[in-house]
Amino acid sequence: MSFYIPIGPQHPVHPEPLLMKFKVEGEQVVDVEINVSYTHRGIEKGFEYRDYLKGIYLAERICGICNAAHTVCYTQNIEQLLGKEIPPRAKYLRLIVEELSRIHSHLLWLGLAAHQIGFETLFMYVWRDRERVLDVIEAITGNRVVTSYNTIGGVRRDINPQIEHKIRKAMDYLEKRTKYFKKVIMEEPTVLMRTQNVGILKPREAIELFAVGPVLRASGIKHDVRADDPYIAHDEVPFNVATYDTCDVYARILVRIDEVLECINMIRYSLDHLPSGPYRLKLPIIIRPPPGESVSRVEAPRGELLHYVMSDGTEKPYRYKVRTPTLANIPATARMLTSRKNYVVYIADIPIIFGSIDPCLCCTGRVAFVDIEKGRSWVWSYSQLIKYSRERFERHD
Amino acid sequence: MNEKEIAEALKKKFGDKIIKCEIPMRRRVFVEVRREDYKEVVRFLLKDLDLKFVEAITALDGKDHFEVIAHVGYSVSVSVKAKIPREDPSIDSLYDIAPGVDLYEREAHDLVGIVFKGHPNLKRFILPENWPEGVYPLRKDYEAKHPEPLR
Repeated sequence: MSFYIPIGPQHPVHPEPLLMKFKVEGEQVVDVEINVSYTHRGIEKGFEYRDYLKGIYLAERICGICNAAHTVCYTQNIEQLLGKEIPPRAKYLRLIVEELSRIHSHLLWLGLAAHQIGFETLFMYVWRDRERVLDVIEAITGNRVVTSYNTIGGVRRDINPQIEHKIRKAMDYLEKRTKYFKKVIMEEPTVLMRTQNVGILKPREAIELFAVGPVLRASGIKHDVRADDPYIAHDEVPFNVATYDTCDVYARILVRIDEVLECINMIRYSLDHLPSGPYRLKLPIIIRPPPGESVSRVEAPRGELLHYVMSDGTEKPYRYKVRTPTLANIPATARMLTSRKNYVVYIADIPIIFGSIDPCLCCTGRVAFVDIEKGRSWVWSYSQLIKYSRERFERHD
Repeated sequence: MNEKEIAEALKKKFGDKIIKCEIPMRRRVFVEVRREDYKEVVRFLLKDLDLKFVEAITALDGKDHFEVIAHVGYSVSVSVKAKIPREDPSIDSLYDIAPGVDLYEREAHDLVGIVFKGHPNLKRFILPENWPEGVYPLRKDYEAKHPEPLR
């Protein structure tokens, strides 16, 4: 006797609008159907209506957390179309910000994973330490999450010795804490019981279903765009590709923790070997690349990201295509969530299995305002914000 | 294999079936083929040259024709392009050689209206349920409007 359990589009376990229809027999999941189409924002069409410079801001808003990866991918794509090479210092600065946002994303995910298996203490610890990365990102770029750092031809700001010192101090702290988290994950029996042999994805299946990023590396496939198709300064900054071969949620946690440790070393190496010179090329505001097409690939925190652009010689792209890592990982997730032969998926494991691919959350519930002059702060709900923006819109129109 | 060896292997295997083959920069190859040869070329890249992954499928409206581009790649990214006439927007599905392309093909079907022959489950994926049939937002004749404020 089988039942259908719908999870989503609104569900406390996943704040992301997504519908998963599970077919269950008793406690076992036998089939799943995933619908991810609730937040399609028409961004690809939006690119066709904006000139190349405005496209950066749109690319930045595809995903809040991976915004650095998206802008690196976008700007690199346009630079390839133009045939321009950015200055070496800009390459290193882009790498530093990209890796910092990877640390941020992985720590945020680690907290969420701990939350999903009911380990709230680790969740609190990890999210407290994640603040240190945000502070560093703020010092470099001026913003905490959406960095607005990359631009066509380089980066927008340079770093100075004070910021460098701050980064190094934060890296020392984070290295100590991440090693501690790794020890906790490897020794804590509750974590081991909830994650080992859960959410199995065999290497053959991972390749067949084109999984990307940490999911692929946790299945023992050593593929990382940073190593195989190096972009920005990745061909000069050495690092190890972290892989594990137990193919379960446990391996995905360890791959991400190892990647954080690698990122810390990469940032230190880049600071030591930071080239001098200009940090951006001066390009005109209206860019008209020659007709042609270009493909750009970047290893975003969640996996490989691919942007394709076709130019027809005008100031707007003719076609812009974005393939995000979560879309690539959805077929693999459906496989992880399906019982087969002697591998059984239980209902209680659904949140952590789905969470283990690091699904991308792109929603803002509320906005906090701080009035510095009067020293008070207040919080608006999304609907209040919409109302305010409409009033403003009507007043100015 | 580097990009030059891949281009050589493609020319050797398919000869004049390859309409255009360009190497714009390192680790990028752009190939154009006829739509009858599209699936065979992708199969050759995936299985024989061991490129392993189809990273994305782009469909676009080229005004007098449509184009489908399969981005195949591991360390080198090869983009296999096929042009499709506007009257008959269909092409062979890659589903039976690479089941991971499922969602990419459904996305292209939804937004540009390409019919992938042989895909077992080509139903609506991205657009809302009440979206009118036969309206494809990524075609050039679809004009995006500024959304009207809800009242």
